[in-house]
Amino acid sequence: MVKFSRRSFMQATGLAAAGLASPIGMPAILRNARAAGPVKLGCLFSSSGTMANLEGRLNYVVKMAADEINAKGGVNGSTIDVLVSDPASDWPLYAQSAKQMLQQEKVAALFGCWTSVSRKTVLPVVEQENGLLYYPLHFEGDENSKNVVYVNSPPASSVLPAVDYLMGEEGVSAKRFFMLGSDYVWPRTINKQLKGYWKSKGIPESAWKEEYVPFGFSNFQTLVNQIRAFADEGGGQPIVVLTVVGNSIPDFLREFANQGILATDIPVLGLDMVEADLEGLDTSKLVGHLNCWAYLQNAKGEANKKFLASWADYVKAKKVPFSPDVSIDPMVSAYDAVHLWAMAAQKAGSFDVPEVSKAFAGLSFDCPSGYKIAMTGENNYVSRGVFIGSVNDKQGFDILWQSKDTPKPVPFSPYG
Amino acid sequence: MKHWFLPLIAGLLAALPIAAVAAPVDRAGLVAKLCGDAGQMGEAGTALASIAATGDDADRTWAAALPRAAIDRKLACDEAGAVLTEGGLDAVTRAPREAQGTPRSPLLSLKNRPVFELADAAFALRTAPNAGQRAAALKILERRPALIPEGLLERAAQAEADAGLKAQIENLAQSAALNASDPAARIRAIGRVAENTNRRTLTQLTALKNDPAYGADAGFRQAVDAGISRVERGIAIGDVMATLYNGLSFASILFMAAIGLAIIFGLMGVINLAQGELIMIGAYVTWLVQQGLRSVAPGLLDWYLILAIPAAFLVTAAIGIALEAALLRHLYKRPLMSLLATWAVSLFLVNLVRVIFGTQNLQFETPFYVTGGVPVIGDFIFTWNRMFAILFAVVTLALTWLVVRKTPLGLNIRAVTQNRDMAACIGIPTRRVDMMAFGLGSGLAGLAGLALSPIYSVNPQMGQNFIIDSFMVVVLGGVGTIAGTVVAALGIGQINVLIEPLWGAVAAKVIVLLMIIGFLQWRPEGLFAVKGRRK
Repeated sequence: MVKFSRRSFMQATGLAAAGLASPIGMPAILRNARAAGPVKLGCLFSSSGTMANLEGRLNYVVKMAADEINAKGGVNGSTIDVLVSDPASDWPLYAQSAKQMLQQEKVAALFGCWTSVSRKTVLPVVEQENGLLYYPLHFEGDENSKNVVYVNSPPASSVLPAVDYLMGEEGVSAKRFFMLGSDYVWPRTINKQLKGYWKSKGIPESAWKEEYVPFGFSNFQTLVNQIRAFADEGGGQPIVVLTVVGNSIPDFLREFANQGILATDIPVLGLDMVEADLEGLDTSKLVGHLNCWAYLQNAKGEANKKFLASWADYVKAKKVPFSPDVSIDPMVSAYDAVHLWAMAAQKAGSFDVPEVSKAFAGLSFDCPSGYKIAMTGENNYVSRGVFIGSVNDKQGFDILWQSKDTPKPVPFSPYG
Repeated sequence: MKHWFLPLIAGLLAALPIAAVAAPVDRAGLVAKLCGDAGQMGEAGTALASIAATGDDADRTWAAALPRAAIDRKLACDEAGAVLTEGGLDAVTRAPREAQGTPRSPLLSLKNRPVFELADAAFALRTAPNAGQRAAALKILERRPALIPEGLLERAAQAEADAGLKAQIENLAQSAALNASDPAARIRAIGRVAENTNRRTLTQLTALKNDPAYGADAGFRQAVDAGISRVERGIAIGDVMATLYNGLSFASILFMAAIGLAIIFGLMGVINLAQGELIMIGAYVTWLVQQGLRSVAPGLLDWYLILAIPAAFLVTAAIGIALEAALLRHLYKRPLMSLLATWAVSLFLVNLVRVIFGTQNLQFETPFYVTGGVPVIGDFIFTWNRMFAILFAVVTLALTWLVVRKTPLGLNIRAVTQNRDMAACIGIPTRRVDMMAFGLGSGLAGLAGLALSPIYSVNPQMGQNFIIDSFMVVVLGGVGTIAGTVVAALGIGQINVLIEPLWGAVAAKVIVLLMIIGFLQWRPEGLFAVKGRRK
């Protein structure tokens, strides 16, 4: 007779679900490779669906960081074991995987989510289970949970400096703004805050236009026509604030360049645009477009050299299906997140979430960006540097501007 | 005291010839500015442009290399000034030397970039050896008439040997005279400007209505009004053409995505959920052909899109045939199972490609025939990649129609579609026809992948984008008819493009879907119902 415990039943259902979602990556949902270390960390990054190309690499970077820590003897005497899931870019699945990892696998912390909407679905789960989620993306702010560590920056220390730069004398003295975003919470909130910000600067409402496209949208012909018409109306230098995500970014850029618009005519500020989005594009026609993040691959300094080298080695050693010479901000943020967690756990001498949370204040880490990132006891935000990057013809970003130090993160925007 | 002004006049007279040749350039100072902050670089850029316009020959030859070096970041700034890294020459003295210490190559800010591009073009216009290069430089200058340094166009026109180019330069010089003091020149300039019928010109001309001359000078007013109405007419025509073109190009994409599905669905009643993945594989085959050409025959690289046509068709057709033979023929009696099976196949294919190629977007060369576009009238730009998709769709349509209407295979396919049992009775090998039809439908999906690769990102997920749209087309068109697919694709494409600017892209999707649902309530069979008995 077969013994059928609740646990094995759940595992079987989990496997079946994973099998349905991704036949090849069958054991992906609970890949508990070695039961060597008693402390488990969970990853919530999609390796299929529209976000796969971006989120997929974060799984590996978390593992890489865990390996680094294990090589130094682990945390509190135990090694780290990383569990990987595949929520398939499907928002409800993030919450489901999170619940499973927290309840069954008893993971000490979760690292995950890219789109804000996926974080919003996981939020009630981690709050209910009193888990800990490290979120590695810059985002719209206006949220503060004791169960979420916001490793990247809220708009006040990412989007606003970039927009300020473009509106300033040194930028392009931008006067008019075309906001184009995917239709969900992050673009809408960012744009709402931007509009509030522009209003506070006395810019009239006629100077901006807002358009949204469905998730995964790719036919940008008409929208680029609209942008051209908007720019030709006159009234000052126009810019595009681009908040489309996933595969819509390269599709938009391709159409934009193909209609003959250069960055010197209408610059695009791509808020979710990373080095990986430029893979496969002919960037010689896109030179000059901008992005803003807390890390760029071209950041100077030893910490970045070391990070890039260890990523390249890791990709080669573990046959990771991503490029060894592309590194993006969320990768570095996820890497920082694991180290920040390990430091907090070490300081607390425990893996219990309340103990670890209490140890956040005063943590600091030498981020590959070259800045010393730090946490305060005030909230779960991390203060980081700000970069503005400019697309070059080698599918990367040159650093156009960077902040002197790490601005204090302001989670709640006064402009929304 | 009477003649106190004489030395002044003498001084002025002495200064005149110097002013005509312009002051000597402070070369070291200019290079220092090039290595300075954004503001100083901007000044250096403007200075370079004016050297191109009015500098003497020695200065111009000296300065000509600098803007390009700054744009390409080939300027290594060090303690002693700067080195042009290409050639390893000192930027000031042009003596060969190495950069010292850790040289810095300054990055142009977005504000300075056009200034340097303009300066570079200005030098090219005056010194480039062949007329083609000078014409290209003139195109760059035309983009920013306001930044063109004074005197540049006049001198360039004087020195220009090519008559056509000379006329173009003079033309540009005249249209730059919108704010000149001579009223006749202004009116001429308005006429020239109005030849470019786009919104920017309209804004420029409308601004002239506030000019004092508009009220005072009847000729000026007439010229402005005529210019405005001419530009407005151009824009209106351009808008209509752009809408039609956008609709047509979107329709061609929809058609390419849907035609294979329509044939398979129409013939066998099989809903092939793996159709999107076959499109994706077609794009991957195209990429493989490109990579193959790169290593075998780099000279033919630009033609990979054409050369990949048979490969994309045959590979996907083979996959389709294999799929039919291995899986679907067992499930003809169970349509729901065939739906699930093709879905499983689609997941399998996505993951297979992911494992083999990774998830990143593939890098495609963009051949010259799918790069950029030509402005036609108003704001309408005729983009070549869309034109390629449209032409490709038209050719595919013609060939598919020929195959279905004019070949024995097509005759058999039609016979089996209309009445499978009767066709079998009169000796048509229905099994083989099924297989061939599935192959044809799959091959067409492969061709769609090829046609879409210059427009969309190619990655393992790309197929999912098309499957819903192609279902809308097939269902609206009436399953299995080529004419229905064409009309439905045109309709959906055009309606989408009409709605998008009015209510946004999200609403366009929803409204189109609602319209299709409404239409199917009225005609459940779609636009063109297949006549005959099925099953």
